[in-house]
Amino acid sequence: MNTDTPLIEVRNISKSFGDVQANQQINFSVQPTQIHALLGENGAGKSTLMKIICGLQQPDSGEILWRGEACNITSPKEARALGIGMVHQHFALFEGMSVAENIAFSIDGAVQGPALERDILALADKFGLDVEPKRPVFELSAGERQRIEILRALLLNPQLLILDEPTSVLTPQEADQLFNTVRKLAAEGHGIVFISHKLKEVRALCDAATILRGGAVVGSCDPRTTSAEEIAELMLGSRDIAAVKQPGLLGDVRLSATNVHLTHEDQTLQIDDLQLRGGEIFGVAGVAGNGQELLYAALSGELLCQHADAISIDATSVGTMGPNDRRALGAMFVPEERLGHAAVPHMDLVENTLLSNVANPDANRGGLVNWRYLLERARRVVDQFDVRHGGLKRAARNLSGGNLQKFVVGRELVKQPGVMIINQPTWGVDALSAVRIREALMDLANRGSAVLVISQDLDELLEISDRLSVLHHGVLAPAKPIAQWTIETLGLAMTGESESTQALAS
Amino acid sequence: MIRLEPRQDITFWTPFRSIGLAMLLTLIFALLVLFAMSEQPAEAIWQMATFPWQGRRMEVQFGLVLQQTAYLATIAIGLSVGYRANVWNIGAEGQFALGSITAYAGYLLIGSPDTLWALPLVLLAGVIGGCLWALIPAALRVTCNTNELLTSLMLVYVGGHLLTYLCIGPWKGDPKAGQAETYPIADQIQPPTFISGTELHAGLIILFAAFAVLALVLLFTLLGYRLRVAQHTPKAERFAGFEPRTTIWISFALSGAMAGLAGAVYMTAETGKLIQAENYLENFGFAAIVIAFLGRLHPLGILLAALMISYVNVGASYIQASLRVDDSVADLIEVAALFSFLATAVLDQYRIRFKRRNATRVNVT
Repeated sequence: MNTDTPLIEVRNISKSFGDVQANQQINFSVQPTQIHALLGENGAGKSTLMKIICGLQQPDSGEILWRGEACNITSPKEARALGIGMVHQHFALFEGMSVAENIAFSIDGAVQGPALERDILALADKFGLDVEPKRPVFELSAGERQRIEILRALLLNPQLLILDEPTSVLTPQEADQLFNTVRKLAAEGHGIVFISHKLKEVRALCDAATILRGGAVVGSCDPRTTSAEEIAELMLGSRDIAAVKQPGLLGDVRLSATNVHLTHEDQTLQIDDLQLRGGEIFGVAGVAGNGQELLYAALSGELLCQHADAISIDATSVGTMGPNDRRALGAMFVPEERLGHAAVPHMDLVENTLLSNVANPDANRGGLVNWRYLLERARRVVDQFDVRHGGLKRAARNLSGGNLQKFVVGRELVKQPGVMIINQPTWGVDALSAVRIREALMDLANRGSAVLVISQDLDELLEISDRLSVLHHGVLAPAKPIAQWTIETLGLAMTGESESTQALAS
Repeated sequence: MIRLEPRQDITFWTPFRSIGLAMLLTLIFALLVLFAMSEQPAEAIWQMATFPWQGRRMEVQFGLVLQQTAYLATIAIGLSVGYRANVWNIGAEGQFALGSITAYAGYLLIGSPDTLWALPLVLLAGVIGGCLWALIPAALRVTCNTNELLTSLMLVYVGGHLLTYLCIGPWKGDPKAGQAETYPIADQIQPPTFISGTELHAGLIILFAAFAVLALVLLFTLLGYRLRVAQHTPKAERFAGFEPRTTIWISFALSGAMAGLAGAVYMTAETGKLIQAENYLENFGFAAIVIAFLGRLHPLGILLAALMISYVNVGASYIQASLRVDDSVADLIEVAALFSFLATAVLDQYRIRFKRRNATRVNVT
């Protein structure tokens, strides 16, 4: 371990947003030449901490020391001036411009033209970043784009470089290249903060790790010598896995998906065999960005499969059918995004009721909309699911997150679906609404429907699922009854550390 | 510092505030323009505002206004179908030309009839022509993901040249005419005029009827709903099971059909023949784009905007004749109106806050 003065040290940092304590009393430091992993589930407080270090947000309390001296980072500009650079998970590049032009932008055009291109190539050469300054960005792959982002940060000559989930969009080969670059940077004396969910790469690359859970530091370790199981347990906490829900009598297979292979916008989805019976709730766990959107899209029909028999609902092949044909068979869907996907923000609740009732012959009579029926329906949804609203004729975006979620879930539940696909049922929803939504889903399953819940909330999945599977890198692992999972196997499966969990599970 | 804050409460009445403000801005600009361009500004303003009552026959002037309104509103409501769904057909001028051409072709095909009963067939031919011409950019967009702004615009010029070619080539009419044109269609097939000496003819009724039908469809049917969903939320469009590509086809087909109908009515009622493009096309197809946006893509708004702009246009022609004020006044006012309406539209979604450094806030609107 390095014993110099830390490059950066944060002491007792706390930050809250409303009632949510995003960071509490966080201590964290990075040495020069250190590659320091920051680990934690979604919502553990990693992003908030990094935003504070980058000057994007101000802490409520605590202090930041830069090379041993207290400092106050009030803006990203000050952070850059100190020598803190960040490569964000989502790229901010102009597609129509060349690599060099994009870089010139971020350094305020301080250097331009051939001189800039020389600088870029020199730096690229030094760290093994293969780029062509004259190429337009739209031609580049995700990995190449990320190299531009890294170069952009490096041109400002930072001492501390923060990489926010840098491998989430990369192929394994691109990731290996990135690791070489990161190692070179560290060897040059830079400090690196490496944010990731993937234990395998953290253990291969990093020489220190800090683990966050629920906004607080729950441990730190040397990932090279600590086992993946121990790290996973720190990340997820020691939760009880006990079947809360009594598995009822299972009915026939209501939803099945076999040999589904889909690729859409650089994301892939692979489902080998998924069978859902009536009366069960099937949970899909996984870290965000591992193909949840694609899984939802494939099952709901927003994205079609090549073969009709890849997916079937109540023994009818629906792989090539759109959402409304699947709804006609009694399947209903709730996407993750409330505003903009499950509901149109500027439309009122009655109009939004039509959104998932387009193929309902009561609502749509040969192209003429039966608004009276929809008004009745909307009223039933808000009454039955206790949606607090300022009037059915008010725009959907005026509702609070919890109430809108109850509305979009209730809109489907009143139809008594035989198959229900729901993505992040309680994301960003207040505790009381979340409980009501979960109860409603369990109630639905008890009445013989098959429910598939995609969620990043492990507690939620452990509470309501009968069987659980994990989505990692677009691959849906074979499912196991909830009682057969341990927190270790779950953590390992979610972080992709062990392929053997899949073998065990089958 | 000026900041825009999203409005929390948006009701039915919210847009009227910004529309009122836009009208006021347009009016102020119009007055300034007339002051600058006229030697007798007060007289010019007065005559421009009241021109229908200035002449001997009020119905003649109103006839001119309604004539323009009919063409502009018909084409504009067609365009608004696509604009609601983020499908940008700006080639209505070309679809108008093709509607005229195919209407004339239809007339020739059914053997140059001399009875009014053939008029519906001729108009139908125009509708089909405009529709098919519009489906070219739709097909390119759906199959090759081509930018429909470019393709629809370029097809305007292709359509114009086709029109001129037909007038100087295959369908060349009287060689002694001062311009390239075809032989005129039979008088009997031309839509009859209601009040002699005015422009009020049966063709306008057909246009207004088409406008009304499409307006009802947009306001009350699933198609209208579908387009509103597609406008801002493509994900919700897919959630509802609306195929985005179908939306593109529908948008182009409807806007092309409306422009084609307008072209067919224009050919039968106004000119009675085809004329070389620069003497035939009156930029209705382009002016309609402005009308669609002035009307906030709402049928009622489009009708009012078309009326307002037509009134300004005819009024400008009137004062050009009576006071020798250049009628480019109309263009200036039209542009001013467009800018004011687009600029104030932001107030529907946001409120402006002026914030000083010491954080005192002043609320405006």
